[in-house]
Amino acid sequence: MEEKYSSNVLSGGKLGMVEVPNSRLTRYIVLLVVTKVLKALGIFESYDILKVVHIVQFIFILKLGTAVILLFFQKPFSSGKIISKRQWIKLLKHAVFSCVISLLGFFGLTLCGPLRTLLLFEHSDVVIIALLSVLFTSSGGGPSKTRGAAFFIIAVICLLLFDNDDLMAKMAEHPEGHHDSALTHFLYTAIAFLGVADHKGGVVLLVVSLCLKVGFHTASRKLSVEIGGAKRLYALDNLVSAVVLLPWVIVLSATTDSKVESWSALILPFGMIIFSVMILEFYVEAICNTKMEMPRCARYGTIALFFSALLLANFWTHPLTDQLRSMSKPPQQVSTEHVLSGGVVVSAIFFIMSSSILSSPSKKGQKGTLVGYSPEGTPLYNFMGDALQHTSQSLPRFIKDSLKQILEEYDSRQIFYFLCLNLAFTFVELFYGVWTNSLGLISDGFHMLFDCSALVLGLFAALMTRWKATRIFSYGYGRVEILSGFINGLFLMVIAFFVFVESVTRVLDPPNINTDMLTPVSVGGLLVNLVGICAFSHAHSHGAKSCPSHDHGHSHHGHSHSEHSHGGHAHSHGGHSGHGHGGHGHSHGSGGGGMNANMRGVFLHVLADTLGSVGVIISTILIRQFGWLIADPICSLFIATLIFLSVIPLLKDACEVLLLRTPPENEKDLNSALEKIEKIEGVLSYRDPHFWRHSANVIAGTIHLQIMSDVVEQRIIQQVTAILKDAGVNNLSVQVEKEAYFQHMSGLSTGFQEVLAMTQQMETMKCLKDGTCIM
Amino acid sequence: MLPLSIKDDEYKPAKFNLLLKLSGWFRSILADKTSRNLFFFLCLNLSFAFVELTYGIWSNSLGLISDSFHMFFDCTALLAGLAASVISRWRSNDSFSYGYVRAEVLAGFVNGLFLIFTAFFIFSEGVERALEPPDVHHDRLLPVSVAGLLVNLVGIFVFQHGGHGHSHGEGGHGHSHSLFNGSVNHDHHSKHADRHSHGGHDGHGHSHGGHDGHGHSHGGHDGHGHSHGGHDESHCHDELLHTPGKGSSKQILQGVLLHIIADTLGSVGVIISALLMQKYDLMIADPICSMLIALLIGVSVVPLLKESIGILMQRTPPSLDHALPECYQRVQKLQGVYNLQEPHFWTLCTDVYIGTLKLLVAPDADTRWILSQTHNIFTQAGVRQLYVQIEKASM
Repeated sequence: MEEKYSSNVLSGGKLGMVEVPNSRLTRYIVLLVVTKVLKALGIFESYDILKVVHIVQFIFILKLGTAVILLFFQKPFSSGKIISKRQWIKLLKHAVFSCVISLLGFFGLTLCGPLRTLLLFEHSDVVIIALLSVLFTSSGGGPSKTRGAAFFIIAVICLLLFDNDDLMAKMAEHPEGHHDSALTHFLYTAIAFLGVADHKGGVVLLVVSLCLKVGFHTASRKLSVEIGGAKRLYALDNLVSAVVLLPWVIVLSATTDSKVESWSALILPFGMIIFSVMILEFYVEAICNTKMEMPRCARYGTIALFFSALLLANFWTHPLTDQLRSMSKPPQQVSTEHVLSGGVVVSAIFFIMSSSILSSPSKKGQKGTLVGYSPEGTPLYNFMGDALQHTSQSLPRFIKDSLKQILEEYDSRQIFYFLCLNLAFTFVELFYGVWTNSLGLISDGFHMLFDCSALVLGLFAALMTRWKATRIFSYGYGRVEILSGFINGLFLMVIAFFVFVESVTRVLDPPNINTDMLTPVSVGGLLVNLVGICAFSHAHSHGAKSCPSHDHGHSHHGHSHSEHSHGGHAHSHGGHSGHGHGGHGHSHGSGGGGMNANMRGVFLHVLADTLGSVGVIISTILIRQFGWLIADPICSLFIATLIFLSVIPLLKDACEVLLLRTPPENEKDLNSALEKIEKIEGVLSYRDPHFWRHSANVIAGTIHLQIMSDVVEQRIIQQVTAILKDAGVNNLSVQVEKEAYFQHMSGLSTGFQEVLAMTQQMETMKCLKDGTCIM
Repeated sequence: MLPLSIKDDEYKPAKFNLLLKLSGWFRSILADKTSRNLFFFLCLNLSFAFVELTYGIWSNSLGLISDSFHMFFDCTALLAGLAASVISRWRSNDSFSYGYVRAEVLAGFVNGLFLIFTAFFIFSEGVERALEPPDVHHDRLLPVSVAGLLVNLVGIFVFQHGGHGHSHGEGGHGHSHSLFNGSVNHDHHSKHADRHSHGGHDGHGHSHGGHDGHGHSHGGHDGHGHSHGGHDESHCHDELLHTPGKGSSKQILQGVLLHIIADTLGSVGVIISALLMQKYDLMIADPICSMLIALLIGVSVVPLLKESIGILMQRTPPSLDHALPECYQRVQKLQGVYNLQEPHFWTLCTDVYIGTLKLLVAPDADTRWILSQTHNIFTQAGVRQLYVQIEKASM
């Protein structure tokens, strides 16, 4: 291990400060990650050691060991300039501070356990400085930083409130019996004075000492320049701290009797801790900070550290690791281990998120120093800061915007309100379930939550439908609602199938159901769903009634618009603006559409839920009154069949749309329109008429026309467009094929009539053979 | 003027004969390799499920019965694939003017969705079991899952082989179907014959006749037409829409294959966890295995779903994403073209792209030339069917 460390230093020295490509950085990242894992291991180890060794002794040994090794490697006395007396005094102050901070840190470790200490104490300076600047200065650094700070605070609060660690509670009961020195006693009383519980005191202590540490690091930068490098300072600092701690240790060992049986058994763990926590981490971080930019380094390091801490916390007390450790060490008493609670995991996730957000290097722009000055001499960073604030989406603003969008339209508003109602009901159910510790209620709540996903899907589809067409989705996103309806329908089918199967097995073997809890919950669910049905079915009938007339009006509307834009083309080249205008009119008109596939899907889903509640209520009554256990599966069989049958039309319609069927309701109009087109003067024939419904309000069509040579194409196109618009097609493209061949034929001195006859012959031939290749 | 379109209704059989229809279906299933494979595998799967069900009822084991129902549910995926592969070969009619080719995309989509549902259910089940490991009695689990694994392995081999066949078919497909779509070109055969005598080097440039003809007036474009003649050997554009299902049912195969792989993974997971539970008594192995498998399924389905949703939503084909801007530029550089508007390009089914666009041209522009050039440009990019609406700007 020593060799590895020194070789790393050497290789780092060889590479120097050249600009390293990204691929080379990976080795540093790997190195950093390995170091962090080792550090986590070391912290866990030191927690175990701290159970037997007094904290001051422990820190003394650490500092002494580090100082010895560093004296050997760094040679602070023989190299560099001579340190003056004043610098020695500064160094002494520095060492005292570092001792205090490590005391606080390791004391927190004894209180909180290794995992929580790692989560709280081992944050990079960059993260903390960003956090403090968000919290205490007005120019925080944009919404993303605020979000990161919020995550950080949430994580700390999670640790404080939701982390119910049994051991900590146990320790809080008898704090007096555990500690045995003046220092620890003082700290305990200070925490008790704060009025918080013991382990929570540890969290507070760690947060305070974290802030102190960051301040200390920032302050010590000047001293490190004076002394001649951070490494030299570190070596000297360790030495001086060891000297400072020496008298205390002597007094301690004289007055108290040690709990340690054999110091020799502890040499190996101490060596490992010294190596991993004190030395390796320091060097690797120094190297990585020079090779990579600081925030990146901080991010990788923190994430690696937290993950390894989580893993270690999971497996540290595992019997397997105990077996492994018992070979080298006397076994610990397992009962005093801290447990991995849900609060810790949540807060670890939040810590990881916040550190990755806070250490992201968008701070540069905010400072603006890199931007420089404009030719006029005005600083450019002002603009940069503004731009950054605009580009990074603020969460509250995003929510507000999307809420506004949702409430704009009837469909999405309806779904949204119902979703809120459903969610509220679900959460009430969940909370009540957790409160009364009833597993049935909780699982029912989760089932409701799952049902809400259909609503969320519908809501999302209703929102997405209104997105503008992009280059990729050139027809717009109108089809989302059909897809969503289709998915909802399929979903219901699957559910119905499973309910069917379940009830078949129950018919064969009716289980015993306890009916006491069922009724109030299902009545509540029924009420909620009835509200939903009323809301949606209102929309349904309304939409159904107004749909045809609306469509008609709409088509007129679109028609006039497109004529307008045509005029725009004709007069100027501003075709795009005219087009955009027309498109806008379309989307605006399409907004008021009635019952689309999406709404139908949502409606069916709600209907299915209602049926389910009704079925449950009926079967409960039957079971209670008459003791018919068979009623339940029969009810569900019936309901499954009902759902199945009611979904089929929706699925059929959606499938037809997705298969590009000619819209059935327009089929007659379209056929008569095609007949009309054939009768237009100058039109010889048409070919490949394709009409399909793109979304609820857009019917697209394409057609090839063959016209005579002596008619004006534009007139034909306009006539055809008008005819098809009346038939309901509002996204049309007509390809006019003006007998190119007529011209060529005339070049070959063939008569017009002959060519025409030949054309028709070819057409009929094509139609008859229909698929054979004419070479 | 003679009516040039033919109504399909006249040819519809008046009487509905179930037996005839069934045999017709059967024949059409067996006619194509994909559907044949699907059918055989479906039969295998169904028979396995029935055996399981009867054995379950006979031995009164609820686990076996529910497992067999699960198998039936799995079969729906195969059934969907099979139905799609048959439906997609139906001819187009008045209502479905593009034919039923999209059924394959839809089938892939449905399969993907089912898989996502399954993965979700398995995952939630796994979470539930991880929190509260149930007492799994694994005595009968092993033989059933091994048998299921065998069946699924057969399926994987069959469909991977099918995949090869599919790629072969693809190669042939691209050549045998026409890309060009103007009946303009149909009338050039006679003329082209004369012309062909001196243009002897290209064996397959028929459909570019119009373009060649244009070479007379504008010059210099013949080489162009020839060099790309390979794209369009044959003409009957309708054939393209009628029988594209020959080898192109990529989505179906992908969906079905994914489904089978998911099933196989499930069996493997069950076997592994059963072994672990038997040997080492690691009860946690079962939920962890199932969660991993669910995640795997979910991740592997995402591309299929993304692709099929893109197609169903008339997305611009991803394979054309880079080619199209270049094509637009080339069209806009054509003499007389002012502007290009409302370009819509979308995928009908695998490898069949359809596009519509509007061109704003100068009043005195040669629309025929522009039309054929535009067709040419987009045909090179791979667009099978193009509708160009030319609008003349009035000065």
